[in-house]
Amino acid sequence: MFIHILFILSATLTLAGAFGVLATKNIMHSCIFLLASLIGIAGLYATMGADFVAVTQIMVYVGGIVILMLFAVMLTGGKDFVSKAQNLLGLAPSMGNKFTYSMGLFVGLVFVLTNAKLLWSVAFSMSSNEVTEAYPSTVNELGHLLIKDHVLAFELSSVLLLGALVGAAIIARPRKQ
Amino acid sequence: MINLISYLLISLVLFFVGVTVMVARKNIVAILLGIELVLNAAALNFVAYSKFVTNNLDGHIFSLFIIVVAAAEAAVGLAIVIRFFQIKETVHIDEATSLRN
Repeated sequence: MFIHILFILSATLTLAGAFGVLATKNIMHSCIFLLASLIGIAGLYATMGADFVAVTQIMVYVGGIVILMLFAVMLTGGKDFVSKAQNLLGLAPSMGNKFTYSMGLFVGLVFVLTNAKLLWSVAFSMSSNEVTEAYPSTVNELGHLLIKDHVLAFELSSVLLLGALVGAAIIARPRKQ
Repeated sequence: MINLISYLLISLVLFFVGVTVMVARKNIVAILLGIELVLNAAALNFVAYSKFVTNNLDGHIFSLFIIVVAAAEAAVGLAIVIRFFQIKETVHIDEATSLRN
């Protein structure tokens, strides 16, 4: 029962945050809505028993990426946060025009039609699985998996992070004209 | 009842909201926010399949690597945005026309 309540709250937070990112025209508010959506996704991980992934999600995304986004917004803010283009309904500026919306609708329809059969079969074959009451901790087993089976990807990700760090510092440094 | 389909539906909606943000918004930072939503939808799918279908922890490993790659991508992307702002004095995506013609 607790898991149901947590699931409903997390799903609501996730979807409301995502639609908030889509609907607000202020980029700073979009970042805050993204933060709410990421916390909701961490709650969804917790309902599936993925404790380590949930905590990593909160630490890396909420503590790192969203703060980085907010710094980028503040560094690049200036006068034109909002573009003046009108959208289909004339409600919110900076939200695209008729062409972009019709293209998004078309792509969504194609995706749903191509995946409807797959989702339908999964819905019938998997509907007997339920979330059980208590979960064991996954940290021990995840550590063994990272060191044994996935050690090459683990080491390569450290090289990737170093390269990204150096590359970001080189790209963003001020240079003399 | 909570089953695989509920997580897949949430992930589907999240993915399409992310794609719509990427297509419809004109601010480059907002496009990066859409990319984060799409990556999170993929990671949520990995954990859901790992929980309900395969019953091992490989999906968790994939989600952790997705988070790592998203962090690296956000760092480099925001550096590019800041550099773009230094050159063009704006973050509007329609101003990025240097490769046209």
